[in-house]
Amino acid sequence: MQPLDVIKEKIREALPGLDCVIGWQRGFDPLHATPLFMRKPEDVDRLIWGPLNIYNTATYLSGFRGKKVGVVVKGCDSRSVVQLIQEKLVKREDVVIFGLPCAGVVDLTKVGRNVTDLGRVSAVDHSGETLKLTTPEGEKSLAWDDVWADKCLSCQYHNAIISDHFAGEPIAPVLGGRDPAAEEIAALEAMAPADLLAYWAEAMKRCIRCYACRNSCPMCVCRDFCIAQTRDPHWQSQEDSVKEKLMFQMIHATHLAGRCTECGECQRACPVDIPILALRRKANQVIKELFDYQAGVDPQAVPPLFTFKVEEDNINERGW
Amino acid sequence: MPVLAGKELRIVGFLCNWCSYGGADTAGVGRFTQPTDLRIVRVPCSGRIDPLFIVKTLLGGADGVLVSGCHPRDCHYASGNFYARRRLEVLKGMLPIMGIDPGRFEYTWVSASEGQRWQHVVTTFTEQIHALGASPVKAVLGAYPGAAPSKGGDSAAA
Amino acid sequence: MEAAKFLSDAALRPWLDELATKHALVVPRREGDAIVFAPYDPAKPLDLSRDATIPPKNPVFPACEELMRYSYAKNPENPAQAGLTLEPLVPMGSTVVFGGRPCGARGFTIFDRVYLTQRIRDPYYGARRESTAYVTLACSDTGNTCFCHWVGSSPSDTTGSDVLLTPVAGGYVAEAVTEKGSDLLKSTHMADAGGREKEALAAKSKALEALEAAPDLGPAPKSLLAVFDDQDFWVDMSAKCISCGACTYLCPTCYCFNITDEVRGLDGSRLRTWDNCMSHQYTMEASGHNPRPTKAHRLKNRVGHKFSYYPDIHGGVIACCGCGRCIKSCPVGVDIREIVLASIERATAKPQE
Repeated sequence: MQPLDVIKEKIREALPGLDCVIGWQRGFDPLHATPLFMRKPEDVDRLIWGPLNIYNTATYLSGFRGKKVGVVVKGCDSRSVVQLIQEKLVKREDVVIFGLPCAGVVDLTKVGRNVTDLGRVSAVDHSGETLKLTTPEGEKSLAWDDVWADKCLSCQYHNAIISDHFAGEPIAPVLGGRDPAAEEIAALEAMAPADLLAYWAEAMKRCIRCYACRNSCPMCVCRDFCIAQTRDPHWQSQEDSVKEKLMFQMIHATHLAGRCTECGECQRACPVDIPILALRRKANQVIKELFDYQAGVDPQAVPPLFTFKVEEDNINERGW
Repeated sequence: MPVLAGKELRIVGFLCNWCSYGGADTAGVGRFTQPTDLRIVRVPCSGRIDPLFIVKTLLGGADGVLVSGCHPRDCHYASGNFYARRRLEVLKGMLPIMGIDPGRFEYTWVSASEGQRWQHVVTTFTEQIHALGASPVKAVLGAYPGAAPSKGGDSAAA
Repeated sequence: MEAAKFLSDAALRPWLDELATKHALVVPRREGDAIVFAPYDPAKPLDLSRDATIPPKNPVFPACEELMRYSYAKNPENPAQAGLTLEPLVPMGSTVVFGGRPCGARGFTIFDRVYLTQRIRDPYYGARRESTAYVTLACSDTGNTCFCHWVGSSPSDTTGSDVLLTPVAGGYVAEAVTEKGSDLLKSTHMADAGGREKEALAAKSKALEALEAAPDLGPAPKSLLAVFDDQDFWVDMSAKCISCGACTYLCPTCYCFNITDEVRGLDGSRLRTWDNCMSHQYTMEASGHNPRPTKAHRLKNRVGHKFSYYPDIHGGVIACCGCGRCIKSCPVGVDIREIVLASIERATAKPQE
């Protein structure tokens, strides 16, 4: 039996004891998937697995507090589940985790750069050596390396870190390959500070403050009580200015320091494709350097900003 | 128009009430001269400082931010400055990706009796900020509201 | 109206340069990977390859608008007394928005029934509405999320536009829809249509034929009311929604707003900003009570408003232009078409009592 069919069987068996199982199904067109909430055995037939499963199913977990749910995860999604468990936002016994080995997902923004209109793709074939799209301008064949999400190009966790049911051959990580995330941060930091600030000002101009970045983040649980929207304390005004928008991005990035699992949903969810992931990745880079810690990898670990050491290993007590 | 307008940059200080504010007071009582660029906000403990205070201050146009608390192991509330040390070190690491020179933010430990040390800290940091010059934030992101209010936004969709 | 004209591809930029001398001109431009509407800059290229990511809503209904400025001044003779100065800021000047699609311009006709009524006239909206002209491009092709013909519109709908430009070989056939549009076409860059009207008509029909047949949304208003209390249905429909504001802010017909005062000491501004019915705080009352506490409630409100309550109040007009932005820009692909059709199916499947 194909691994996907094995998992579908396991889900059907587990369904009676669960509120629902979260996975993916085909979306509004061949290029888009969409989250699937399986409640009845017939729903499980619609579950898909492949490079279009871009959504992070763990985003929905904190909304199911008090209920038992199942979740189908890629490796990166399972990191979010682990981090939620580390922070006691989700109880391990309330989640049933189904995993399959993930070879990677596409970044639709990258695909969009190669077609005139992402909304006019009428057929997709992702089974071959290249990603084949049928568009009004003809057949397009895209090299996988050009369309994999950046996180996939340096992925170390192709398989669920913890799971109750796993089907298929685990995929081993490729070490020493490209790290587009680190490259992006290095390129940005090579700019003079005033130029980099101008870069963010330009990028944030088109932000519509929809909070898709915040709401698609599995670790952002304050949701409706976020300080970006409170009037008391009044952190942010309603002004539609670049300053307020950049401030919100910093609020998000600092609140995620040591908690972000780099699933990339924030940048993916942005309706106007602002490259905000770099801010969060930088926070993680700093945390890794200072505390040798990566979020969402060890369910027993304590996130570094939740604790302290009297003598810090990597923090230089200022000599002045 | 204040006498020092045009000659001083704006540095905001967040000082813990027990040690550093006391230290600044001691410096004052001892008549140690310091540059006047620094304006102090008193907080009960350096652990109360949300790293976002520093971000908001810098994005508001401040040229520099200085945080000062009790020496580690001597926190008035036992462990506040341990948390502060971690948070502020992380924040310092994050400033470059925003486009803000990390030299515009420093955190330090000054105890209540260290008036001379406080003078040294303020003088050194003010010199550091003057070397960096005025913050580009005002020019790039616009003045903090309170100057001229903006006409309701500068988003791309006109 | 009057005879159509022809604007050649070569004459497009010169015409825009000319318009820019008399009006604030707003055009579609690529910024990063998105297409937004931005002030015209002769040095930067336009991007007309597809419908812009953001609708051309801001010129008439800005995301943030300063309604007035105020300042208190204490009376030196009697500090307990404070004088208040109010400065309303009604917008002035004329704007031309070039390069939107029919769905983008149609949105404001939905606003008009609410903002410019016999009883109430919003002066800020009114001033901008009167002074803004829409030069719209007819669609030659349609996408997977286009459903303008479901809601009474079409790829060449002129409702809400002042000029319609239909792409033909070598340029555009330009038709004036209103007096304002007529004035815009009085330009040396506009040539006689020279018999190209037939080509334009053929292009319009071709685009409409490319769309799959529209289902009948007639039953929608009653169906949505019939499933109003069906909480299971709405929980199901809203399960994947993450309650952001992408659909609302990108919708050409969404018109809710929030008013807040931003205070700085003794001065302040009163701002009007877009409100978002998907947000938890949308119907949050000052007491803390929230009549729409869950995303199921709020999605029901959004779909109900567009396809049921608004049509019921305004003679059957659906408060949706079928542009599909809410589907393609939704971070998780919530599809409003699916929800409306599901509600019709659900209502007809329910046993009659």
